[in-house]
Amino acid sequence: MRFLTTSCIALAGCLGLLASLPAPCTAALQDGPDTATVDSDAAQIEERVRDLFTRKCFDCHGMDTQESHLRLDRRRSMLQGGDSGEPAIVVGDGTNSHLVALVQGKEAGRIMPPDESGRLSNEEINLLIAWIDAGAPWSSPNSEEQNDPTSPTHWSFQPLPNPTPPSINHSFIANPVDSFILEKLNEQGIAPNPIASKRVLIRRLYLDMLGIPPLPEEVLAFEQDHSPEAYTNLVERVLQSPHYGERWGQHWLDLVRFAETNGFETNRERPNAWPYRDYVIRSFNDDKPYPQFVREQLAGDALGVPEATGYLVAGPYDLVKSPDPALTMMQRQNELDDIVGTTSTVFLGLTVGCARCHNHKFDPIRQTDYYALQAIFAGVQHGERKFPISESTLLEINRIDEQILLLRDRLKPYLKNPQRHRPAVNAKRNVETFEPIKTTALRFVIEGTNSGEPCLDELEVYSQGTNIALQSLGTVATASSSLPNYKIHRLEHINDGRPGNNFSWISNENGKGWIQLDFPQASLIDRVVWARDREGRFADRIATRYRVDVVCDSGEWRTIASSEDRFPFPMPPSHELYEWNHLSAEESSLLRTSIDHLQSLASDRERLLNSQTVYAGTFEQPAPTHRLFRGEPTARRETVPPGTIAILGKLHIDENTPERSRRLALAEWISSPENPLMARVIANRIWQFHFGKGLVDTPNDFGKGGSEPSHPELLDFLAMYLLENNGSLKHLHRLILHSSTYRQSSEVRTDAMKQDAGSRWLWRFPPRRLEAEAIRDSILAVTSSLDRRMFGPGFSGFEVELENVRHYFPKTQYASTDWRRMVYMTKVRMEKESVFGAFDCPDSSISVPKRNRSTTPLQALNLFNSPFVLQQAELFSQRLERECGSDSLVQVRRAYGLCMGREPDAKELQDASQFIDTEGLPAFCRVLLNANEFVFIP
Amino acid sequence: MTDPKLPWNAHLLQRRMFLEHSATGLSGIALTALLADQGLLRGQESKDSTVSGKNPVRPEIDPSRPYASRAPHFPAAAKRVLVIFCSGACSHLDTFDYKPALIQRNGEPLPGADKLITFQGEQGAVTQSPWKFRPRGECGKMISDLVPHLGSLADDICFLHSVRGKTNTHGPGENFMSTGFTLDGFPSMGAWTTYALGTENENLPAYVAIPDPRGTPQNSVNNWGPGFLPAAYQGTDFNATKPIRYLTRPDSVSAQSDQRAREYLNRINERMLEHYLGDSELAARIASYELAASMQLSIPEVSDLATESAATFAAYGADDTSNPLKASYAKNCILARRLLEKGVRFVQLFNGAYQTGGEGVSNWDGHKALREQYSLHGPVLDQPTAALIKDLKQRGLLDDTLVVWCTEFGRMPTFQKGASGRDHNPEGFTCWLAGAGVKAPFSFGATDEFGYKAIENIVTVYDFHATILHLLGLDHERLTYYYNGLERRLTDVHGHVIRDILV
Repeated sequence: MRFLTTSCIALAGCLGLLASLPAPCTAALQDGPDTATVDSDAAQIEERVRDLFTRKCFDCHGMDTQESHLRLDRRRSMLQGGDSGEPAIVVGDGTNSHLVALVQGKEAGRIMPPDESGRLSNEEINLLIAWIDAGAPWSSPNSEEQNDPTSPTHWSFQPLPNPTPPSINHSFIANPVDSFILEKLNEQGIAPNPIASKRVLIRRLYLDMLGIPPLPEEVLAFEQDHSPEAYTNLVERVLQSPHYGERWGQHWLDLVRFAETNGFETNRERPNAWPYRDYVIRSFNDDKPYPQFVREQLAGDALGVPEATGYLVAGPYDLVKSPDPALTMMQRQNELDDIVGTTSTVFLGLTVGCARCHNHKFDPIRQTDYYALQAIFAGVQHGERKFPISESTLLEINRIDEQILLLRDRLKPYLKNPQRHRPAVNAKRNVETFEPIKTTALRFVIEGTNSGEPCLDELEVYSQGTNIALQSLGTVATASSSLPNYKIHRLEHINDGRPGNNFSWISNENGKGWIQLDFPQASLIDRVVWARDREGRFADRIATRYRVDVVCDSGEWRTIASSEDRFPFPMPPSHELYEWNHLSAEESSLLRTSIDHLQSLASDRERLLNSQTVYAGTFEQPAPTHRLFRGEPTARRETVPPGTIAILGKLHIDENTPERSRRLALAEWISSPENPLMARVIANRIWQFHFGKGLVDTPNDFGKGGSEPSHPELLDFLAMYLLENNGSLKHLHRLILHSSTYRQSSEVRTDAMKQDAGSRWLWRFPPRRLEAEAIRDSILAVTSSLDRRMFGPGFSGFEVELENVRHYFPKTQYASTDWRRMVYMTKVRMEKESVFGAFDCPDSSISVPKRNRSTTPLQALNLFNSPFVLQQAELFSQRLERECGSDSLVQVRRAYGLCMGREPDAKELQDASQFIDTEGLPAFCRVLLNANEFVFIP
Repeated sequence: MTDPKLPWNAHLLQRRMFLEHSATGLSGIALTALLADQGLLRGQESKDSTVSGKNPVRPEIDPSRPYASRAPHFPAAAKRVLVIFCSGACSHLDTFDYKPALIQRNGEPLPGADKLITFQGEQGAVTQSPWKFRPRGECGKMISDLVPHLGSLADDICFLHSVRGKTNTHGPGENFMSTGFTLDGFPSMGAWTTYALGTENENLPAYVAIPDPRGTPQNSVNNWGPGFLPAAYQGTDFNATKPIRYLTRPDSVSAQSDQRAREYLNRINERMLEHYLGDSELAARIASYELAASMQLSIPEVSDLATESAATFAAYGADDTSNPLKASYAKNCILARRLLEKGVRFVQLFNGAYQTGGEGVSNWDGHKALREQYSLHGPVLDQPTAALIKDLKQRGLLDDTLVVWCTEFGRMPTFQKGASGRDHNPEGFTCWLAGAGVKAPFSFGATDEFGYKAIENIVTVYDFHATILHLLGLDHERLTYYYNGLERRLTDVHGHVIRDILV
């Protein structure tokens, strides 16, 4: 038996082992006993301990063998300890030394030495304690205390060389990528495939880069473009498409475990998490240099991109809090572990999370490294952060407001009830505008609410752009009543300038109440702005019926605005507000377009208004970070200053460094061109998403536990290419997309298949099934239902039951608002989308570097029977009828063009039209949307 | 059942034979490649890639038949598993863990716990169970009046009274019991099992989760999620009243037309396969539609309780019109038996749902009004569950079926300060096993005299999982899957098989 080594993913309770560099030992040495008097004693005691070790310990922990990486024949190794991260001895404190606990059997049911016959007697244990108490004297040659000079030998830690592509002459070689690939193929004795047909190429390019198939017209145009630049132009067009960011952004969102609910049992929504998703999509589309992309996500608050830190808190968060301090500490450790673990795997390809409880089992990552990284993030908390609305956003809101007014005016004549033409009230912001009027007092009278006593967080009254309602300007507020006993709900909050539920007023009357504002002098007012909760967290207690009165010169009150001209609350679907029946087809279609436009303007406005609140974490200066023995929150050891993996580098910061500067320092270090891991890891990911498999097939683990690259020089070449081109991912795409390796056909050759069925050496382009999102988006694209609006709050795949614990029931009916690309579907943790989730959609609890691609009968049922797909089949058939008339042969050609990017052959044409004749066009559409060819990248 | 007379089935059979018998042919090669691709052949030779130092045992999975029955690592006592999961944390002190001290010291403070803060805060006094304990069965095991029917099975049960968890919140607790990790995102026990073993009846899902009639458990689908394992191994959830989504043919399509659509789809896919001869993924997709079609027949059949006798209904309490909830749960119990009978590998039956209407109303989370709430939950659980186990026994199924009863953690011997219920307690609680390979009647481990902490023969949840896998013929240290830097296991880096309870 031996010291068992352990490794674990997350939690405490990993069984303990031996250990790491202790802060106290040097101090203990300096304060040690007077050397003159102990010299002779020391020599004697040392000799006895050496003898003890020789008899009982060196077999497993000596010069030749080091179980658990513990070596007891060198002082520095004892001070450092073994795998457990715990120092074996604490100089001057024998009783509290880990080694003593182990020989005493006090460590988690473990006793050393394991053989019963070898156990230490009490006398021997006392000797050990006495020796450590006496300063653990250890004479040369093994007495030096500095650590081993460490130079990492593992391949991925080596500086990036600039590999020269092998010089091979071959028509296959279009660029250096091919030279590397061909060299290996030659070694294997396998020839590459010929270049794929243009039809296959454009389809592959679209599905791979954009996640939707090309239109038949685009296929045709490319096939007919015989210019030498045809492919280059196509690649450029694809790289410029905004769909590129949506497709590749999704890969990134998988990696960073992004979702828009908290997970765990409550699984509450994060309604303001989407700006991070938009940031990712924009970053890909703008070809943001990758090192900058890395830096912004770690410290965007310092770099003018505050929403980018949504990355830090994109993971799950346990909302269930308790007075139990042990639980609270463990939850906090888990939050930080998520950030440390994700950061190290995503950006560095290192599984630092394994060093939470003890030194890393395979890689030179010590437990102290883990806590040094934890100290970087120790000030990060889950939560929303508010950013100021920018000037440009305000201008955009004003521009939208003008358009909305204009459109509303135009639509007014078609209203069913012309009296009601303003939008229904909402919780977050309501504006009353009126002809300027001079007055000394204003009263906001509430006559009805959606529930309970009304609540207003702030009442603003504007005179030429100034809010004159503020207390600070001398305005005095009175009310019909105020809810007693709540500090956060007081009359004084109504005009204190502070928004949100925590600074609001609630009346003490169910469904009614009023506020009066007396201004210090008569003022010309033209606008009132009011809300239930400008921060948008609450939507109860909304004043749904109200009026605004002002006092006239005569002393009488006059109503200047009210809910009478608003649409009823809650707002019915827009088209129900208008009268259609008497309109001509043309007019009614015009009307519908205008209504749609109005709605999209309103949602743009909403998005802009919300854009200042983002689930991007909050930051505070943290307390010192401690190393935790076995990762247990209650077992605090020495403090660890912020830093990084010691063997790979050093950050020049200390315990007093401000929180933000810590993250910035790490961000600079990770993204430095000197760091070979950053470029290798991302180059490998890009390759993987193109070919389905990375050059390193353990994309989140570039350590010793991971795989070695199949083409090490190619990987280095790609990494170097990325750095030399300013970190431009689009440059890297271009290089890969232009290679013959990418452009070769995917067809099977028996000879090659026998040698390399997994296509590891890339003698063909490996075909593969599309991911869930791309299948859904492709369906919507071919049926022409796809709503290509980008960005903003997402749409939901669920009906949400708003219990304390949220429950998500799959939608059973879908409208056009559900037909945006799936990257805009609000990502719910745990619960998967009911139709496409079964296609190995990750649940976003942990970083997913590479999705599974399994095939299951549930997938088949979902795609064959779900109302979603059947509705799309119906819409597809309508499209075909619209575009092709009733001739089934024309319909089939068009359908094949849209779904497969090709013409059907005669047999297929005949089979299809016969099927349509007996089963109908929608049935045919249903089948095509299920076909293998439709869901495969060829 | 697959009817070879149907044209697409004939194709399937030919292809299956092709896959199975032409190991030297293209398909065999492609299959090997796909296995390698999935990491299934990885690390055969590299010993030190697992934490335990043992070689992983990779299941050989034909992508066209992900559910095909596969051999265990060593001869197994149990062929299939039924897990009965009481969501909300069912109190061991009011059911199976008899503690006279609670009666003797009723109303006194819990010694040494005056400063103890548990999940919801401070403790009130030690409080005896509102239910009387009596000796049950020939063995005379003390079990409470809350679960008399289960009590009558005392001679068939192997109690583990010293289970220890590591979290006192429901979400992480249910994660821990079902997946071996408190965090979200790890594969469930059923996913690991079916990944390793496939199933005996490929026309039914290998792994079925039966949610309570009131809804999903507290941590919902995590309890039967695939985590990082392929989606093929996630649990399929349905119960006696809520069928599988999208299982049935759409109303708008006739049966004949549906079949023709299938045949047509098959022709299209077969044509494509000709161009990609030997592509396992394409072949697997074709097979998946065939399997789906079989399931469309076999699942309604197995879910149709109409063929069950009135006597069976009565035995389970499925005819209890005075307690519709009990009747509804009883139907789930009958469904569970039917699934096991048909060879489903892993059935997870839930009693208790997510929180609605307040704490402990819809599940076992009795913080504030234990007596009132458990008086409702006990009868729902008791008779139907007991009838299920008796039925399994009577049909001989208990010989090779392992029954597992569990919950996320236990409850405190005290009532909460100012309340009439018990707070969460992961320090020591009871789970039990019955059936294949376990000693019965048998009681293993113990909590202290108040039932607060496990003190004797402590059983960690890892040990519990290791033992269940062992009974299925699986070495918990060798059932691994590479993900993000590690050969992952159900038992993380822990767990010992509890040999003392094995036959």
